Amino acid sequence: MRKLALVLAAVLLVSVVTFGAEKIKAGFVYVGPIGDLGWTYAHDYARRIVDEEFDWLETVYVESVPEGQEGAIIDRLVAQGCNVIFTTSFGFMDGTLEAAMRYPDVIFAHCSGFKRYKNMATYMADFYQVYYLNGLIAGALTKTGKVGYVAAHPIPELKRHINAFTIGVREVNPDAEVHVRWIFSWYDPAAAKEATEALVAEGCDVFAFTEDSPTVVQVAAEHGLPSFAHYSPMLKFAPDYVVSGQLVHWEAIYRDFLLKVKEGIYTPENLSHIDYWWTLPQGAVELGADFGVPINPVWEDELKANVIDHPVFGKVSIYDLVMIRQSQFGAPGITFDPFQGPVYDRKGNLRIPEGTWPSYETLITMQWAVDGVVGPWPGEPEG
Amino acid sequence: MGWESWIIDTLKRALAYGTPLLWGTLGEIYAERAGVVNLGVEGMMILGALSAFAVAQSTGNPWLGILAASVVGGFAALIHAFFSVTLRANQYVSGLALTIFGLGLSGLLGTSWVGISLKNPLPKATIPGLERIPILGEALFRDHSYLTYIGIVLAVVLWFVLYKTRWGIAIRSVGESPSTADAMGIDVFAVQYLCVIFGGILAGVAGGFLSVEYRPAWTEGMTAGMGWIVIALTIFAAWDPLQAVGGVVLFGALYHLAYRLQAWFPPEFLKLMPYAFAILVLAVAGLRKVKRGAPASLGVPYVRGQR
Repeated sequence: MRKLALVLAAVLLVSVVTFGAEKIKAGFVYVGPIGDLGWTYAHDYARRIVDEEFDWLETVYVESVPEGQEGAIIDRLVAQGCNVIFTTSFGFMDGTLEAAMRYPDVIFAHCSGFKRYKNMATYMADFYQVYYLNGLIAGALTKTGKVGYVAAHPIPELKRHINAFTIGVREVNPDAEVHVRWIFSWYDPAAAKEATEALVAEGCDVFAFTEDSPTVVQVAAEHGLPSFAHYSPMLKFAPDYVVSGQLVHWEAIYRDFLLKVKEGIYTPENLSHIDYWWTLPQGAVELGADFGVPINPVWEDELKANVIDHPVFGKVSIYDLVMIRQSQFGAPGITFDPFQGPVYDRKGNLRIPEGTWPSYETLITMQWAVDGVVGPWPGEPEG
Repeated sequence: MGWESWIIDTLKRALAYGTPLLWGTLGEIYAERAGVVNLGVEGMMILGALSAFAVAQSTGNPWLGILAASVVGGFAALIHAFFSVTLRANQYVSGLALTIFGLGLSGLLGTSWVGISLKNPLPKATIPGLERIPILGEALFRDHSYLTYIGIVLAVVLWFVLYKTRWGIAIRSVGESPSTADAMGIDVFAVQYLCVIFGGILAGVAGGFLSVEYRPAWTEGMTAGMGWIVIALTIFAAWDPLQAVGGVVLFGALYHLAYRLQAWFPPEFLKLMPYAFAILVLAVAGLRKVKRGAPASLGVPYVRGQR
């Protein structure tokens, strides 16, 4: 009996000491393998950065978790002593919410969803401004007037990105079209390859995509055609052909979130309104084919020599236009939005009235396609 | 864009996409002809893909990569042969285990190869003379991988061996009735081992093709279910190497057209089309009582002295 009491006391003491030191153990639940060079790779890259940065932080992760099984994985992470848990797939939303109710003392953050709770926040790094900037370049580079776009799933996130990209393309090349092909998978290199080949056969000569592998840039390069990278640095997969692209910095969000947990600003009681929607101004995303390379130097001269007559800026080179527009997204104060009205969908309906910017709700529920998008659009609203 | 370009593009892509499927299917046909189902194709392919990439990148020679893939595929198949032939374990369970093992191991060992572009992918070749045939020449004999041409020649050779040689008779009789084959003096275990390992070698090459030619890079899980399509194509081809070529080209053509036709047809339907077509053919064949040539003792471990 006495022995038991001693052990109990020791355990109590240890837990008090640990708590006092405010060590944070963060668990990451990934939907894909960390070696996908896409979504999960980027989250894990960010996890390693914050893990090294903060000596008070310990991180663990579980990869390739099927959607629907996140609950059991979270149970295990909590049992291992995690007090902050990040879940990084839209499909983990309900499982994360249930776990948040089950473990009221643990802090949860769910990526890309919209359900929050007193101990569950949401976060997202969004690319639509960067897609627009890439669209400006793509519109200037196409000679056939057809830009190819390989897309994963027809959900609002991708529709928003394709629309923003197309608005960029048409700003510099009003007659150009963006041809879209859906592969219905986040990760399927063979499907991405055949979709790209199909677009090449149709006469597309510049490529962008949303899918978790470097397939599209590799196939485009095989045909000697330029492309835009997605998510991870892909410059090395086609050094002469990747013009730019979009890159993510999840560490910006993880750093901010974990610091605020550490400082006691975020507690398991006050997260129901914490929603990170971070874009260019917060440094959560970056324009470029590689970190610190906004435009591939191989293409710089061509883009500087390509001068257009712009409705707002007059005579301006594509290179300068991209830089001006990028600076308009910068801190402090954003002075431009790709979707600034009037924006019509391709069926002729006015979606965003003249002189207004889209609300956050408009952006995250976008189902329509802008003028210039060619190809199937599952879920396209009639009116 | 005339109809010629549609035919050329479709056939060209069907062959390119179909090459790994062809190699995998030819291997699985031989394993199953000897009576051993190997559901580990996906696992053998992905191990082949990783080893091919690692060796090709380290040595700068993609052919050495393909060689490594074939060796690794063969060894992976050896595991399956040991469990299913020697230990007489359930072939389906053993094969599934091999797939899961291959996907897991390649992910674990492959982390340091992620995000690298292969310096020197497998070259393409054009066959002089034949490429001048109108339409078909451009579609079939221009700018294809060496492995595409070799795969088609291999299909013919394997068909010949299977149906026209004593080796072929030995393999087929082991798959139909191992006890009879045994009584005829055929070493059943040796035939089954050799056929399963041969299947693994071809599956390894199929995986290697993916990582050093089709899309020269390594990413985890890059076979993305192709191994399962191989299993389906084996049945689709009625365990016949020549029909495998037809099946692969047909499947590959539908797979490519699924993206070409998106401008006119609902993409969800098109995505299903190749698979739905395969099921349809099997169903029609079943209804018409066409003999599909399934080896009679497929999936049954052979125990000497038992029927």
